[in-house]
Amino acid sequence: MLIWLLSDYDHRKHLAFKSLLARFSSSFPQAKVEFSVKSRGSLWESLFAHLRDPKRNPLPDIIEIPQNWTELFSRLGLLADLARRVEPLGQRRFPEFILKELCRHEDDRAFSAPWWLEAPALFYRPQELKSVVSHPEEELASWDGFRGALERVGPRSKRGRFRALSVPGSSGSVSVADVLPRVWGRRGGLFSDDFNRATFTREETAGGIEDWLELAVSGKIELFSPDRFENGPRPAEECAFMISSRKIPGSGRAGLKMLPYPGYPSGGGLTLVYNLAVSASSQAQDEACAFVSWALEPRNVAQFAEGFGVFPCVKSVFEEGLREEREAAVYRRLFSAPELKPNIMVYPTAELLLERALWNLSLKIARRDYEREDLTRELIMAQGEADYLLSLY
Amino acid sequence: MKKNGKPIYVPVAGQAFYEGRDVFIKAALEAVSAQFSLDGASFYEYDEKPGLLRLRHRCAGGVSFEHEENLKPAPGSAAARAIETLEYAVSKTAGGSFLHSPFRFDYCDPGGGRSVIPCFGLVRMERSARRKRFSPAEAARADAYLRSYLRDYYKAEFFSLHRKYDKNVTAITELTEVFATALRVRDSFRHILSGIQTYFGFDRVRLYLIDEKNRKLKGELSADIRGQIKSISYEEIPLEPGAHRFADIVLGRSSGAFMERYKDCVLYMPLAVQGVTIGLLIVDNLLSQQRIEPQELAMLKSFGGQIALAVDNSRLFDKVEELSLYDELTKLPLRRYFNQRFQEEFYRAERFKQPLAMIWADVDYFKEVNDTYGHQIGDKVLKEAGRLILSNLRKIDFPCRYGGDEIIILLPQATGEEARRLAQRLSQELAELRIPVPFSKTRELRVTMSIGISTFPADGSTMDALLEKADDALYWVKSHGRGKIALYSDVAEEKKKAEAPGGNNNVPAK
Repeated sequence: MLIWLLSDYDHRKHLAFKSLLARFSSSFPQAKVEFSVKSRGSLWESLFAHLRDPKRNPLPDIIEIPQNWTELFSRLGLLADLARRVEPLGQRRFPEFILKELCRHEDDRAFSAPWWLEAPALFYRPQELKSVVSHPEEELASWDGFRGALERVGPRSKRGRFRALSVPGSSGSVSVADVLPRVWGRRGGLFSDDFNRATFTREETAGGIEDWLELAVSGKIELFSPDRFENGPRPAEECAFMISSRKIPGSGRAGLKMLPYPGYPSGGGLTLVYNLAVSASSQAQDEACAFVSWALEPRNVAQFAEGFGVFPCVKSVFEEGLREEREAAVYRRLFSAPELKPNIMVYPTAELLLERALWNLSLKIARRDYEREDLTRELIMAQGEADYLLSLY
Repeated sequence: MKKNGKPIYVPVAGQAFYEGRDVFIKAALEAVSAQFSLDGASFYEYDEKPGLLRLRHRCAGGVSFEHEENLKPAPGSAAARAIETLEYAVSKTAGGSFLHSPFRFDYCDPGGGRSVIPCFGLVRMERSARRKRFSPAEAARADAYLRSYLRDYYKAEFFSLHRKYDKNVTAITELTEVFATALRVRDSFRHILSGIQTYFGFDRVRLYLIDEKNRKLKGELSADIRGQIKSISYEEIPLEPGAHRFADIVLGRSSGAFMERYKDCVLYMPLAVQGVTIGLLIVDNLLSQQRIEPQELAMLKSFGGQIALAVDNSRLFDKVEELSLYDELTKLPLRRYFNQRFQEEFYRAERFKQPLAMIWADVDYFKEVNDTYGHQIGDKVLKEAGRLILSNLRKIDFPCRYGGDEIIILLPQATGEEARRLAQRLSQELAELRIPVPFSKTRELRVTMSIGISTFPADGSTMDALLEKADDALYWVKSHGRGKIALYSDVAEEKKKAEAPGGNNNVPAK
């Protein structure tokens, strides 16, 4: 049995999966399981390559996918229906906000099983903000408050390798993963509520993207960072702020405190969910479903998620994890009104369109020839393409 | 392997063959990590224009993984030096010690293109701060080890390109055959689209044809990435400048900036035969947003003429077939086609024990119409009769111009009474028609029809018997004043009565 795991900037995830597999192999020595880690782009390409030429490009038995790829690839016939084959799915043992986006149009089918989730949050070091912010909880609740504090902490950050803001999950350029939490915070989105048209240029969406681009333009985050190439992500103790969707190891020791992502008026926020799917062309579907069921057993899913600082999707373990969390109060606010990316057929492609626009803008910012009109033009183009896609699919 | 206590690094070039780039990179990173006790090894491609190192693959902690990260080496750093000089460079920071081993080679496109495909990047080997740094001798050995591996990388890349080339050659051979043998519209369009999808595998292929009469671009078929083909006949685009992007393309107008952006994943290919545009083929990778290789675009463009010819041929073939099976004047099938369908319908009715009715109609005094008003008016009468019949039938009914002014209609699953109701409707509508006759006194002409009806199995159990009985019924109407409808069963009854002693032999039909 072969598994494709989605790669992660945090190597702990790969190691956590390796140890999960080791436990599986010791429990079921007769089962032969291998895995390979694919980047998001490479996974996307491989899935389409399979559609084009299934014989030359076989799929593995199990694939980890972002939750909102499910509709697309199930409609393209790549994923097996797991509803009656994976027990937690049959029993609907997931929080309601996850089940809502699992299968938009039908309740009795499910083409992937929710595995783990994360939500972006703001981490800060109180000792670095002493003279900058008097009441962090209040002042850092809004984007403007956060942005002002970042500005004030800026001049102090010149010393040594200290940075005012670190984004450990950054891919180098400004990416969709960076801007979407802010877009959501402004109540924007990539599509209208009825999914009949793209809304990239809507004020809330464009404004959310611009907020993040402004951080890059003003140098608060460094694009294509040479420092990151030479030294890797900045350690927690060398930053005043961090935006991360992972629990940060040793955050207590490093004197880090946590707050919800700034600027969520509802108190909830964007939640990213990752699922396990079984390939429809797998010759070992029963074994694959059995593995997915095993991976979702409370003990296994809890250990795996804990391994890289995320939350498991199985309801009982998720709630238990929340209760035991050091920052339980913040997480409770984060998950008070969680919102998932819509699981609709064209959404993943729309993200790619926005990704391309953001890449072009990132290069412009890095070359220092970015202007506001560039953003408008890129978004108009991307929106046109997304609208065209909607008319086709 | 050890000699004098020191490890000996064996060059591996030529010992392995890798199916493509990813397999190679993984193997190389795992091998170099094991050979030189590394804590991590990363494979970067160098994008010269923006000066970015693009992380593709990494091996750390015993796990190999793909990853995407785009970073810039700091000016003057070891990585920047390695890229600039193409010599390995070593550095040490608080994070550990690093060895950057660059590579660069160009190779010619095996597809015969003139372009050179560059391969440029570096492998970064790392050890954590608490472990020993790379000594000059060890760095040189590690670099040499990697370079020997890169000869296999060259092979892996070349193999991938060669495989593409092979695929293209097969595509050329087989698609040419598909296009050359595509004859009937319904099948050939499917074959053309399937052929394109089999060899190119686009997200979607769509075929539109120009309807010259109505100045429209009409959707024909669409094939998706799984090869599933569906009709897009509901798509109709007015062929006017500015009406739609597709119309502009067909009319040869500028496609604008929007199209410029699409050019890597969409190809709009107007189909032209002898300089006349007959349609539009659109292939796209919009859903996957994957770039269509320039080589594929060029090849598909080169097929454009053949595709257009195949499409045109199949349309011509259908036209010829239509002319041989359908009467051009009345648009009704001809007798040859009718005989074939009659056999099928009769067999079906017999096998499934279903009724089958036959209407045999004849325009009254048609010869006189021709003689008095001329053949043009006679043709007009037949044309109107054909139009009227076609507009009144069910989908399963089958009409035919049997000869001259005689028309037969087969009504599967219909009883005699149902056939009579249809005949009455046709008769009435025909009687209400006014055919303009410009040079006559009345200025218009009114016509009627005589109609005979037979049914299976009641009136006859063979095809010939059914025809004969419908003809008998028609004859009976004609000999009893015309302009009426008669069921053979009624005629037989009347005949029986007439033949009986004291019977009236001139009773009109119902």
